[in-house]
Amino acid sequence: MIRLFKFLIRISSFLRKELTEIFRQPKLILTLVLGPFLIMFLFGLASPSQGRTLRTTFVVTDPNSFRQEIDSFSRSFSTVLVDYVIETDKEKALAALANAQTDMVIVVPYVPLETIQNNQQAEFLIYHNEIDPFQVGYIHSVAQVYIEEINRQFLQSVVELEQGNSASLQTDMETALVKMEALRKAVPAGDANTAKQAADLEKVLTDLHEKLTAFRTLASDIMVKPFSAKVSGLSAVQLTVIGFFSPAVIVLLLQHFSITFASLSIVREARSGIMELFKVSPLTAFETLAGKYISYLFFEILLAGVITVLAVWLLKIPILGQLQDYALAVVVLLFTSLGVGFLISLISETDTQAVQYSMLLLLASIFFSGFFLDLRLMKEPITFLAWSLPATYGIRMLQDIMLRGSSVPQLVFLGIACMGIVLFLIDWALLRKKMSS
Amino acid sequence: MKNDDPAVNVVEAHDLTKSFGEDIAVQSLTMEVPRGTIFGFVGPSGCGKTTTVRLLTGIFKPTSGTLSVLGKSPADFSKADREKIGYLIQQFVLYPDLTVWENLNFTASFYGVGLFRGKRLKHLLDFVELSGDKNKLARDLSGGMKRRLSLAATLVHNPELIFLDEPTAGIDPILRQKFWDYFKEIQTQGHTLFITTQYVGEAAFCDRVGVMYGGKLLMIETPDGLRKKAYGGDVVGIRTNEEISFEHRRQLEALPFVRGKVKIISDQEVEVTVDDASTAVTVLLEWTQAQKLTVVMMEQKSPPFDDVFVRIIEKEIAND
Repeated sequence: MIRLFKFLIRISSFLRKELTEIFRQPKLILTLVLGPFLIMFLFGLASPSQGRTLRTTFVVTDPNSFRQEIDSFSRSFSTVLVDYVIETDKEKALAALANAQTDMVIVVPYVPLETIQNNQQAEFLIYHNEIDPFQVGYIHSVAQVYIEEINRQFLQSVVELEQGNSASLQTDMETALVKMEALRKAVPAGDANTAKQAADLEKVLTDLHEKLTAFRTLASDIMVKPFSAKVSGLSAVQLTVIGFFSPAVIVLLLQHFSITFASLSIVREARSGIMELFKVSPLTAFETLAGKYISYLFFEILLAGVITVLAVWLLKIPILGQLQDYALAVVVLLFTSLGVGFLISLISETDTQAVQYSMLLLLASIFFSGFFLDLRLMKEPITFLAWSLPATYGIRMLQDIMLRGSSVPQLVFLGIACMGIVLFLIDWALLRKKMSS
Repeated sequence: MKNDDPAVNVVEAHDLTKSFGEDIAVQSLTMEVPRGTIFGFVGPSGCGKTTTVRLLTGIFKPTSGTLSVLGKSPADFSKADREKIGYLIQQFVLYPDLTVWENLNFTASFYGVGLFRGKRLKHLLDFVELSGDKNKLARDLSGGMKRRLSLAATLVHNPELIFLDEPTAGIDPILRQKFWDYFKEIQTQGHTLFITTQYVGEAAFCDRVGVMYGGKLLMIETPDGLRKKAYGGDVVGIRTNEEISFEHRRQLEALPFVRGKVKIISDQEVEVTVDDASTAVTVLLEWTQAQKLTVVMMEQKSPPFDDVFVRIIEKEIAND
């Protein structure tokens, strides 16, 4: 009994100690509980309530010929097709698509009626510049729905037209019948007009025959689906899901490594007491920070090299753009991520807190950087949060360079570079304060 | 301002006070540390020794008072001034995952020691007897080895003024003695050492000793001076073959150079506090002969510094 009692007392010693230690870190508990909850809450706010809208450019040979149809059609598709413009120059429209000024280009067939009458489907060419397989699938779906709607509208107009035509057909038939009766009566009298009536009748009947022949020779599948759509992407490669997500995974890994290493760096030194030695020495905050940046950058660049080689060799992920652009994008991503890591290190009081902040940042990056949810689908205020994460810029840059073959997107590069410099300055100021207090 | 004149004080503090909110850590501290000396700063744990070192090294800014270290206020230290200062922190703060050599090299780097520093590092490792362990990770070192590595790191840039905050805390007496041998050797090379310790006995190794208690600097003295102050003079022990009676003790206390009461050690042995032992011993011998007492032993006693310290603190408490 005493043994059991002592056993319980020994266990209780840890119970008390562990709980006391945990509750002595209210900030840690707060971030543990509220952090993920806040991220999920914001993600809920960011998620779109409807499908993605597509800025559309229609390419037609004559802007006046189809304007009415395009207007009416776009109105009925206003939840998907937005900010549509009509363009006559296909190349100009495709250039706008490549520059992300429009999301979809629809090239309207040149002479659709003649094509259909020749028993061929009139083909709409639909272009996009998506690399995300899910977005490509979305464009295909939109194209499918779009073309079905055109076919439906076309069939409706043909039926209405033919209903109009059938009235004249009925008149023609009645005329033919009257003439037939007159012909029947005149035949015995040997009337001179008989020959003319017979000729008229013959003409009416011939017309009817021709119309019937034309109707019967029209292919049934063309009649039902007179229009078709061919969807093409501007990207040179057909990407798999793994291929598409690889740049984003590389970015998230590099950001996370950088932040984790850097976030533990200064907080450990502050806890160990060596900071006191730094304060007495001639070492400045700038020298300390610069030394840390350079060493971690060196290590992270090596790491990035290994990850890239593995991605290219093992996963066959293409790098369509220039290698130097890729390297530049990676370096600026690492520089900025290190800035975030050092900031965490400077505001954290313990290692645990620093690791917790790093994990929260990884979680936020997965949800808000465009890795999980396309930035174009995110609601406006939350995109500010997205653009405050280095990963958002990194994913954008690496996708453009690796998968589209573009050069470094200048605005995005400028954004992340500015962020990195601002973070360096903040870290410097905080470290100066830490080393002088 | 470089001044190698031994008469010049490397530290001058006047009425220096440091408080943290309501708590006064250091109160009205006034002291001078002459160049080339070992200045011991003795006091119990939490008496303000480390706070004083932090004030002197510029880590803390004083709440009031004036302070000059190497001729400058620590707040105005330039990089060159900081290169003249070495600082050994109480706990081991170097990197556990670096080897002895790598830690020493790192410290040398951030003090800006030139790239051809290998000879210097090797010399320092020889000095602290760690040459054979230079490739050991710091985390695998014993407590004493860690202290020696820290000491080597403190000396790596050959500083003029060295602050050692409890360098012998928590290490065995043999290693403590070795450390004091190191300090004496460093002193002979012309360095000034400011050493805090809670081992009162170590005061004996210092040129001058400051006694700190409750944030106040009670006194600065030489080790002998400290004893004199504690006991009110020199202590002379007398042992005789005969019994030293009450009458003998009364007569001793009546002598003009004897201070206070005679301390009885046994029937045949007493301790007498005198103004100056060197002159008093002759007179005391004459007195014993006059009293027909056969002297077995008569010598100046050096009471342990622990006792000295306790006496000083007791006096301070009594004065308060």
